[in-house]
Amino acid sequence: MSAPVRDTAPAGTARAGTAPEPDRRAPGFGRSPVGAFPWAMSAAIFVAVLGSALGLNGVLRGWDWLVPAAGAVGAVVLTLAVARSARLPEAVVPVTALVVLGMVLTLQFFPATALLGVLPTTSTLGELGQLLGRTSETVVGGVAPVEAHPGVVLVTCAGLGLVAVLVDALAVSLGLAAASGLGLLAVLIVPALVKLDSVGPWGFTGAAAGYLLVLACSQSLGAGRDLGTSDGPGSARPAGQGTRTVQAVGLGAAVIVLTLLLSAVLPGFTTGTFPEGSRFNPFGRSTGLNPMVTLGNDLRNPSGQGQMIYATDSSSPVYLRSTTLEDFDGESWAPDERRGQRRFDPSRITDDYSTASVLDGVTTTTVVNSQEFNSPWLPVPYAPLSVQGLQGRWTWDPETLSIRGISSTTLHQTYTVRSVAPKLTRESLAHVVTAPRQSLDRQFLELPEGTPEIIRQTALDVTGTAPTPYDKAMAIQNFLRGPEFTYSELTPLREGYDGSSMDVLAKFLEVKSGYCVHFAAAMAVMAREAGLPSRIAVGYAPGKITGNTVTVGGQELTEFSVDGHNAHAWPELYFEGIGWVPFEPTPSRGQVPGYALPPSDDLGAASEPAENLDPLAASAPAGAASTAATGLGVAGGAGNDDGSALLRTLPVLLAGTALLGLLASPALTRVALRRRRHALLSPGPGRHQGARAAEQPQVAAWAELLDLSRDFGVGPEPSETPRSFAARLLGSGRLGTDMTDTDLRRAVDELLEGFELSTYGRPVQLADRSDPARHPAGLQLIRLHQAFRLQAAAGVRWRALLLPPSTLNRWAGIFRQALPVRRGRQPFGQRLGKLHLPGRRTARR
Amino acid sequence: MDTEDRTMLHEASALPAVSPAQFQETSRRILDAVNTVIDGKAEAAELALTVLLAQGHLLLEDVPGVGKTQLAKSLARTINCSVSRIQFTPDLLPSDVTGVSIFNQATQLFEFRPGAVFANIVIGDEINRASAKTQSALLECMEEHQVTVDGRSYRLDEPFMVVATQNPIEMEGTYPLPEAQRDRFMARISMGYPDVAAELQMLETHQSTSPLEQITAVTTGTEVAAMIRLVHSVYVSRSVKEYIVALGRATRNSPKLRLGASPRALLQLLRAAKAYAALRQREFVLPDDVVAVAEPVLAHRLLLERKTASSGESASTVLAGLVERLPVAAETPRASRNLSGTFGQRTGTDDARGQ
Repeated sequence: MSAPVRDTAPAGTARAGTAPEPDRRAPGFGRSPVGAFPWAMSAAIFVAVLGSALGLNGVLRGWDWLVPAAGAVGAVVLTLAVARSARLPEAVVPVTALVVLGMVLTLQFFPATALLGVLPTTSTLGELGQLLGRTSETVVGGVAPVEAHPGVVLVTCAGLGLVAVLVDALAVSLGLAAASGLGLLAVLIVPALVKLDSVGPWGFTGAAAGYLLVLACSQSLGAGRDLGTSDGPGSARPAGQGTRTVQAVGLGAAVIVLTLLLSAVLPGFTTGTFPEGSRFNPFGRSTGLNPMVTLGNDLRNPSGQGQMIYATDSSSPVYLRSTTLEDFDGESWAPDERRGQRRFDPSRITDDYSTASVLDGVTTTTVVNSQEFNSPWLPVPYAPLSVQGLQGRWTWDPETLSIRGISSTTLHQTYTVRSVAPKLTRESLAHVVTAPRQSLDRQFLELPEGTPEIIRQTALDVTGTAPTPYDKAMAIQNFLRGPEFTYSELTPLREGYDGSSMDVLAKFLEVKSGYCVHFAAAMAVMAREAGLPSRIAVGYAPGKITGNTVTVGGQELTEFSVDGHNAHAWPELYFEGIGWVPFEPTPSRGQVPGYALPPSDDLGAASEPAENLDPLAASAPAGAASTAATGLGVAGGAGNDDGSALLRTLPVLLAGTALLGLLASPALTRVALRRRRHALLSPGPGRHQGARAAEQPQVAAWAELLDLSRDFGVGPEPSETPRSFAARLLGSGRLGTDMTDTDLRRAVDELLEGFELSTYGRPVQLADRSDPARHPAGLQLIRLHQAFRLQAAAGVRWRALLLPPSTLNRWAGIFRQALPVRRGRQPFGQRLGKLHLPGRRTARR
Repeated sequence: MDTEDRTMLHEASALPAVSPAQFQETSRRILDAVNTVIDGKAEAAELALTVLLAQGHLLLEDVPGVGKTQLAKSLARTINCSVSRIQFTPDLLPSDVTGVSIFNQATQLFEFRPGAVFANIVIGDEINRASAKTQSALLECMEEHQVTVDGRSYRLDEPFMVVATQNPIEMEGTYPLPEAQRDRFMARISMGYPDVAAELQMLETHQSTSPLEQITAVTTGTEVAAMIRLVHSVYVSRSVKEYIVALGRATRNSPKLRLGASPRALLQLLRAAKAYAALRQREFVLPDDVVAVAEPVLAHRLLLERKTASSGESASTVLAGLVERLPVAAETPRASRNLSGTFGQRTGTDDARGQ
């Protein structure tokens, strides 16, 4: 009897009539999902990724990298499109693309060693290692824009290829076209972080246009693929779609143009397309391409990350010097690596500079623990005699005494430095009148073509009457330390002249506000104008006493800590017969050396240092004083800006919060949920097949209807049966006032029937149930959604869109379940009731 | 599929089957016929048919004169099967109901004379007027579908249904049915007074002749038995069973009730819901079916706490309140699988409400 019952049961009878339908429609479903969609999406992703990559021009010199990058990205998107057209399983598609990316890169960069030109061999990997080693050196030590040598291009191509796969995964596989912007952001953020003003209008326009294209493709083709097909073949595209697309493209273009215009007009955007808040550096310190800008970022970093600890027996404040910047091309200052001259083994640093000042100096011992500080340049007190305890290979430069690692960095190093501070006095410096020796590298005097008039003129005005080099140096320093100049870490950013190029310096001399980089660079350039060899030392100003002492070899050393706020740059000027002499032109920062104090300050300073200008002879309290000075300097710096640390970090915080908020917003969660359900309802062996085969489409459709109702304020009670809920929904007027015989009533009824059948009905083969032709539920849901929106008040509509109650309630439910208190209490009460109540009841009866 | 269903289907293959279409047609004819007799009580008629198809027994309870006996009689008459009517009185003996063994002088053997209970439909009129002993005799037959006299058991024919009527227990000369015996009735229906239109209609049509006379049988006992087998094959999903169990638990945990629904009550609730679903052309049970039959099936088995009773509530209102708050199986099957958790929450809320 079972067979006749099932076949002819009431519900079964109703369904029997529709049974042939899927067969009729099946061919339509077989074809429609694939077609132009993967190709269009691939083309859009290609445009988007390469468009974003245009911004990399600020980081890479020239355009040579563009063709290989286009090749790599093109191969990737082509593979994606072919794989989708061939209906490969969704999980395999990105893997295929990655394999092809690897092969294309091999073909482009290592055709000689690879098998058949595309299959990497062990020697290919060796080549790759070498290339990457060179690339990492460029990244760590180079200054943007870097030369686009093969390693850099390889990394760029690989990165862009990966981004293409990522964007595709987000936009096509997951159906979150909007989120694919994150992939493009990853491309844009590189130039934005590394070099100011480097994204430029081209990069922005390219990225934005590409992004809009991805959105448009996924909207116009993807949506039709999801839902329209349930209408049957041929009616997939709603009327007027073409016009809408044209409108959307026009709107998108207008938005891009408007954004570019606004960014030029609005204050705070003047430094480029990205506001200052976006210029944070998440990769640690001093690893960027431009030490100067990195230094500025360190100073502005509120957390003061990159702490280092050092202990020294020096009684005077110790500057830790990382390196010197002498190579000035008008754009930026860069360290000259002098590869040919560098010598190995810094445990014994012999000097070519044995001058009287050095020989008379006092030797000090300093133990440095660099902790998280990560840089190829080793911070040591000037002038080092020996460095012990370093891990890895290190070299030193006899000319600048900078110590640099060869594929090793300062990360987690503890080393002991013996150094000698040159004995410098005002008198000895004042006696130098001769010009620098001819053997001195001309680099220290070179200025690029086209020095702005304001720099030349200022240098001339300041140093014009000074007779000796020392007087000239003092004049420049005193000019910069004068009352006209203020210390500010933010003003250069706001005014758009952060960095150290010629133009920046000109602007700095005009605005007269900046931080150590500007003061140091200005003094270095003005000194060169005045004929004094100069370079910029980069490192750390004296830190704070931690209160601890370290015993090394029976000696008690006072421990100091420095962090990002102590990052500093100062000029060093060459005095013939004496050597390189540091100056301190930055107001309110660091410690002005005794020899560089203006004569009027002598009285103000303690009598002993005034008498004995040797900085090494300063007594212990001087260390404390330096700490105070540093503290004051920071405070002063903050005071000069019209904002505290909080204000400085506010933009970053706001941007971060906004991003997080957007990602975690109920609205986005709701959209993703709806999308997933609609995908489940979409016909054919589509891309979501593997996602959750077990979930029944009818159940998903009903859940979506319930969530829609919740969003529009007629959510089901927990005790309501589906049927009674449907009746109440239809009677509530939220879908329309007259519901006697409408499409909407039919839609609700069909959804209800489908849900009841799949939830309460006899379990049958899943294939029978998930046949899409019988359940155009996606379309029904869209109709109902429209009806809800149409009937709802504007406030309800917005709430449903931005803060959908369905999602909020669900979150609240999860939160309540997570609360342990209520859960723990209830079973206890339950137990009590079970134990005692029956007895009591019996007794009473 | 349940084991019960499977055995039924197995048995069914040997017996004449009924198609769902026939099922609908026959049930419609039965209801039409009954409705010509009782005006404005379509729901009561449908419930009576539901109980018949669910192999239960029906208790019609109300004040005299609202058509209890009419309903029972008309339902019996629509089916071409044996019908007997027992007018319960205080002096009715158990043997009057079950039958008696008489010594036949001719054959020198004890001969069994079947009592009034040997029929497909037994109408027990004013059952609460009989003594407790006689009541029990009938109720045993109801439960076992057999009669045992002098150590011999006699099987009762299928379908077998007892439709008992009773006046409210406050009426004069009544012996209230004990709880245990009320529990044997699948459902209790209170007829209630007809509305104005129905009453007018009754006065119009029933002036001279009793419409009961005009009723002819529209179906046979065999067909009804086949229909009952079809009801057996109605599918009940796990979530609906969980809902039934939860409802039972809710009645037991409710602070307003002294006695909740027994396991037998839940079994009968399930059967009634299956018949109700079949009558609504469905081959599976919805929570709505359970809700629809919950009041007639459960209300007469519940005992109120005295405080509740004195506050004017009845078992029906308490039950309605419970149903109103009881969560229906969640919207996704995944959630309903978590049986213990769901119950923990439900009983928890009940407790919280009670305190």
